[in-house]
Amino acid sequence: MKTLRLEFYKIRRRRVWLTMFAMLSVQLLWGLWALRNPKDWELESGWMSLLYVLSMLDGIMLPTMMAVLASRLADIEHKGNTYKQLETLRSAGSLYHAKAVCGFLIITALLLAQLTFFIFLGFRLGYAGTPDVAHYLLSYAFKLAGNLSLFLLQLILSMLFANQMIPLVAGLGGSMAALLLMFVRTYSFLPWGGILSASLVGSTWDETTRISSFYYRSFSPAETAAVAMIFVWILIFYFAGRFLFTRKEL
Amino acid sequence: MKHFTLKCIKAEHLKLRRSPVWLAFFLLPVLSAFFGTANYQMNQGVLKSEWYSLWSQHSLFLCYLFMPALIGTYCSYLWRLEHMRTNWNAFLTAPVPLPALCFGKLFWAAAITAAGNAWIFLLYFVCGKICGLPGVLPPQAAGWFAAGTLGGIVICCIQLALSMVIRSFAVPIGIGMAAGIGGLVFTNKGWGMYYPYSLYALGMRANNPQMKLETPVFVISCILYLFLFAGISVVCIRRHEQ
Repeated sequence: MKTLRLEFYKIRRRRVWLTMFAMLSVQLLWGLWALRNPKDWELESGWMSLLYVLSMLDGIMLPTMMAVLASRLADIEHKGNTYKQLETLRSAGSLYHAKAVCGFLIITALLLAQLTFFIFLGFRLGYAGTPDVAHYLLSYAFKLAGNLSLFLLQLILSMLFANQMIPLVAGLGGSMAALLLMFVRTYSFLPWGGILSASLVGSTWDETTRISSFYYRSFSPAETAAVAMIFVWILIFYFAGRFLFTRKEL
Repeated sequence: MKHFTLKCIKAEHLKLRRSPVWLAFFLLPVLSAFFGTANYQMNQGVLKSEWYSLWSQHSLFLCYLFMPALIGTYCSYLWRLEHMRTNWNAFLTAPVPLPALCFGKLFWAAAITAAGNAWIFLLYFVCGKICGLPGVLPPQAAGWFAAGTLGGIVICCIQLALSMVIRSFAVPIGIGMAAGIGGLVFTNKGWGMYYPYSLYALGMRANNPQMKLETPVFVISCILYLFLFAGISVVCIRRHEQ
């Protein structure tokens, strides 16, 4: 707990929150622009389409955001050359754990802020009915898990490499992979496809009426396995990161 | 001044030597070209304009979403060394004028952007031939390359200014990606010419190869942004000195 408190203490003037919310604000501005003036059929399926749109947007943007977050948390130690000194005060494992939990808490708050804003926007736009609480909560939980897996992967890279170019390029590559996977199919076992796999809403496009219709996906066994894979990635990345970090010559 | 500028370019080259940073410019376009070509092959019923359709598949996401962030990565790398320990002191006490220091970095950022663009076009040609498209590249391709490179240099200038002011390696890259996504909105509204992060994608005619570019407006916009952000960089570096 003390180590975790110190993590927050270390980043208090690093404007990590500001960086994350600045990137989130791009999503918010995009939402204000793209979702304005909805047509009648868009209002009808508004809450469902919102979940769909957010999954797409998050799938593309969040791998890079996670890379930025992990880099901000890890490079403070590289810059100060403090890893060795910190290891004399507490175990390397607990330092890694504290950074992982610190990142998790920031992601939790970030996604909560995003969801709150878009629900507020949905009400302002006059979407029919109310958001389906069960689906929204489940979507939030899956997105949190998907982002945590990406964050842990990025944390490994950011803590192992002093040169932050490597994790950042990996994050950009992840964003691109996530975007391109969307064109292939609705699920993927890769870490960057997790958010896409866990999207609860699907869409079909009618070429004649030029109207998109949305539906809650029923998951096939392969799709369910792809969602389960997110949690497997979390475990793999957490323990692999801890193992590699504790055995690294700092 | 010319002598000093050459010295700075040489010094920056020494700092970049054996750095793997160019690998990112090599790998990400390969990923984009691979998926773009696959998407083109799968949708040939809809995408009927041969070379032009293939270009739209190759360029859209790369130009709007990833190239600004990729350029940002390179620019962050160029300033990374200066932000370490007390290197700013050594950097600012170099016996050369301050604008030459900025220009040395801009030169290499522009060079890698041009090389990255050339690589994108080479991949486009190879993928077109793999798809069995007739002839060589469309005649407009040279114009896309030139305008795209000019637009890319504008992004280099902005990202260099950001990376100079912001000590973090990651934050300017995040800004680059967010600003690139913002470019989609501006271009969609028809304001792309006035938004610096849209200039690259407009120049490359991403997703719209048949688009007629208003070349004078485009060039003037690029030059204005270049001077503006180069000026900001020089002012900031002077303030850093004090």
